[in-house]
Amino acid sequence: MDQLIQENKLSKEEIFETLNQFITEVIGEEFVEEMDITPASSFTKDLEMDSIEIVAFSEKVKNHFGPNIDFTGWLSNMDLDEIIQLKLENIINYIQECQ
Amino acid sequence: MPKYAFIVPPLTGHINPTLSVGAELLALGHEVAWISLDEQLQAKLPVGGQLLTIRYNQDDSEKQANAEYLDIITKKNVYGIESIKFLYEEVLVPLNRYMFDGIMQLLQSWQPDVVINDHQVFAGGMAAHLLDIPYATSVTAPAAVKMMEDLPKIHEWEVKQILGLQQELGIEGDKSLATSELLTLVFTSREFFGEMELPDYYRFPGPVISNRIAGIDFDWEKLKAQTAPKILISIGTTFDHQFKKDFFAKVIEAFGGEEIFVVVVSDETLFESWPSNFLVQQRIPQLELLPHLDGVVCHAGHNTVSEALSNGLPLVVIPIAYDQSHVAGRVVANGCGVRLNFNRFKAPHLKNAVNDILNEPGYRLAAQRIQGSFEQAGGTRTAAQWLDQIPLKVLHNG
Repeated sequence: MDQLIQENKLSKEEIFETLNQFITEVIGEEFVEEMDITPASSFTKDLEMDSIEIVAFSEKVKNHFGPNIDFTGWLSNMDLDEIIQLKLENIINYIQECQ
Repeated sequence: MPKYAFIVPPLTGHINPTLSVGAELLALGHEVAWISLDEQLQAKLPVGGQLLTIRYNQDDSEKQANAEYLDIITKKNVYGIESIKFLYEEVLVPLNRYMFDGIMQLLQSWQPDVVINDHQVFAGGMAAHLLDIPYATSVTAPAAVKMMEDLPKIHEWEVKQILGLQQELGIEGDKSLATSELLTLVFTSREFFGEMELPDYYRFPGPVISNRIAGIDFDWEKLKAQTAPKILISIGTTFDHQFKKDFFAKVIEAFGGEEIFVVVVSDETLFESWPSNFLVQQRIPQLELLPHLDGVVCHAGHNTVSEALSNGLPLVVIPIAYDQSHVAGRVVANGCGVRLNFNRFKAPHLKNAVNDILNEPGYRLAAQRIQGSFEQAGGTRTAAQWLDQIPLKVLHNG
């Protein structure tokens, strides 16, 4: 897939599209079709992702955005409650800040 | 005669491996006791094993209130990562706080040379540490160890809960005493567990499958008369009625009237009627049954997965809570089965997944590879030998 070493900053919409794609890859297209994924969707409550799925998702974010962001480090600073509450928009904002 | 004391939680899956390992220690001529809250455990102990029951004064109201936490685990629906928070805050920490005083008293009176605490009864490690008794740890949910690596922050949070209890009990230092640094027995094979750097005191004797005959009625004639593929479907005993009802409704939709014979572990009254190709029982002789089957569908509880793989059976895993997501991850990573999401899957997904594991030989071959790794891991005898090698303190303190 596309390498993301580029000068242009990605918009929130573009980041959302990329993350949406990762979610689709992790949980399967047919399930995503029935979901209304928005930036306000939370991983545990709305998307019903379990821990292995969240790990798989964060691997994809790491591999894609690579050295530009310290995604693992960022995630590592969250406590359990924050991970439970984690929403798509939190990650979008973080990636935007890193650009 | 050296004395060994197992400290176990009131959870069957955690107790069973200690019974087999304990029987080996008894065979080596050691004295062996089990410290538990459950008086019923005596009936399950190997011959010669002693039960030391934790009992408190009836009018100790604080203790009585804590006791009510003990069965909460079966009465609440929990899912995913939230279940880990629930497990520690509402079950393990109160349970350990409740058990601690009793463990201390029993260790002081029985004076074992070696303590073996379950990894979830961290109060056992704490008590052994305070009394300066060498202790080993029994890890009956190995995926919990793997989670340290996959989700480090969650592991850190778990350690924080354990340290909180240690401080409350007046133990200094910032190191968790939950698992031993002398010997931590992880009840699976290294191959199934997967790559991870661990200190040498983590040892992998394989899963312990007890070979006791359960003596549960089962219609073997009906099973043997089947020509269709045969599968077992079980989501264990810890989940409540509604979870089971939702789940088995999908199972019925997937397999009712199909060319497949389905043994279901469930309360028969969950539905008014079941399809004729189903055999439904609350309790089944699982270990005797597995060799006759072609595949297993389960919630990725460590014991059921280990038992299926010990028979070289491929799996469909549908994890619900706790470490099950990670156990399911290991099943998939080893190629032994297919994983579905408990909340998301629908009947056709289950049907396809079962077709896959039954018809694509790769799953069965991978399951047989893990079966081989279990057989080579050494089992209970090896686990008992490792325990036997723990150096004893020369003198008892009066």
